[in-house]
Amino acid sequence: MRRNKVCLVGYGSTEYSRTSEDSQLQHYATAIRAALNQTGLRKKDIHGLSITTQASPDTAPHVAEQLGFELDWVLNADYGGAGGVGAVRRAADAIECGHLDVALLVGGNSFDRSVAHQRPLEYQRGNFVDVYGYGGPNSLMALVQRLHMENFATTLEQIGKIAVAQRFNALNNPQALFRVPMTMQDYLNSRMISDPIRLFDCVMPCSGAECLVLAAEEKAKQITDKLVYLVTDAEKVHYQVADMQPVKTTFGMKLVGEKIFSEVRREDIDLFEIYDDYPIAVMIQIEDFGYCKKGEGGKFVDAHDLTYKGDFPVNTGGGELSVGQAGLAGGFLHVVEALRQLRGEADGHQVPKAQRALVTGIGWLNYGRNLGTTAALVLERRK
Amino acid sequence: MAEARAAQKSLPKINPVDRPFWEAAAKDRFLLQKCKSCGKVQFFPRVACVDCFGELGWIEAKGTGTIHSFTLVRVPRNPAFKEEIPIYYINVILDEGVIIESRLLGENKETVKIGDRVRVRYEQTHNPAIKLPCFELAG
Repeated sequence: MRRNKVCLVGYGSTEYSRTSEDSQLQHYATAIRAALNQTGLRKKDIHGLSITTQASPDTAPHVAEQLGFELDWVLNADYGGAGGVGAVRRAADAIECGHLDVALLVGGNSFDRSVAHQRPLEYQRGNFVDVYGYGGPNSLMALVQRLHMENFATTLEQIGKIAVAQRFNALNNPQALFRVPMTMQDYLNSRMISDPIRLFDCVMPCSGAECLVLAAEEKAKQITDKLVYLVTDAEKVHYQVADMQPVKTTFGMKLVGEKIFSEVRREDIDLFEIYDDYPIAVMIQIEDFGYCKKGEGGKFVDAHDLTYKGDFPVNTGGGELSVGQAGLAGGFLHVVEALRQLRGEADGHQVPKAQRALVTGIGWLNYGRNLGTTAALVLERRK
Repeated sequence: MAEARAAQKSLPKINPVDRPFWEAAAKDRFLLQKCKSCGKVQFFPRVACVDCFGELGWIEAKGTGTIHSFTLVRVPRNPAFKEEIPIYYINVILDEGVIIESRLLGENKETVKIGDRVRVRYEQTHNPAIKLPCFELAG
């Protein structure tokens, strides 16, 4: 396609070596520093990062975390020898779309054997977290929940109401693994996992998959008369990464929400498909989106009916907490449920007026902070 | 894989970036990175300053700080820790101003609350060359 709004403005390189055992990250840092020096750009001018390598076990978001980049766009340009061209093309798409103005695209290799057989996250979590006997994400979210309860007097009953309402939503969803009613007592009495996180704060790992189909408008009209449009979308990667005392009870979703609600009105959203690895994460996102003040999520939950029949419908099919978390399909489940609702196909748990849906996704818990990625989009049904 | 091996406690896979930290910990010293350009102090060890992307040196921390948050782990990810549950997993704000993830040890750890003062305590691992910086209540 013809482009006329994107330029290449600088570059940086490292020495090449047959013997260096420097890590892949050190090579990245050297090349990036050279490019910053050449262009006069500062680190905080960089809003997008693309990584192409076979030498690092880490995916692009994990590399970004270790390099300390807070981003609006991140890419694993995993296209072999086409990685350079492929990264340029996709960065150009993102720039033309207005997602970012400056992106760094990095490729590299290294002979550092110490990381050759590691999996993603093994540096950060493997060397500085797992060694202490932590309990996985349950423990890292427990640290967040304890602070929310301590700082804002949030109660277990307020957090539990989210899990209980979502279970109600799941009762008529044939996809849900959990279709027996849950009471508040069931929630409170569930086994302690990593306090204050209980068993019913946690998702059930399972197998499964979700799929989405996108099409250009003209093509879409040929395919269906139930037209659902992507209205707006935004992401924040590694919010507060440079802050050594980050605010754990605020997610990058706060900045995502500011972008989203510069395009649509908060009060025009009919249903909320909010990534729910834990109920406390749902509460914090509701706060971050500005539906109440920070710290008042508990009171907000008290004042609203979160079921599909309610005034603030959340995770209308039960969410991951009641449907199950089929690995990374968990991030697709919420989009699919929103589509089901907007198309009027959520039999047994249909929101009566379902025209606009807010959908979110959040990704992993990072060292000393909270989330690595936060993203959201708004879908709208049009006649 | 005919026989299941007994689970071993996790150890860091030391690499060129964090080697100075672990070598110091083995000698009961706690190192933090400090940016040579802007002076920012940071943890965990990285290849560039998270603020300005400057080059990094090392400083020694006092090894004292304050409990920021904590959780009692009853289901550790690595089963080798099962015999020690509940594990007091903590976030500490070091006096140098950075959050450290670690573990609270010591007789009186059951009394822990947010804001308590702690000091570092080095634990020998099953690898003679590696010690883990843990913490104990200072009061």
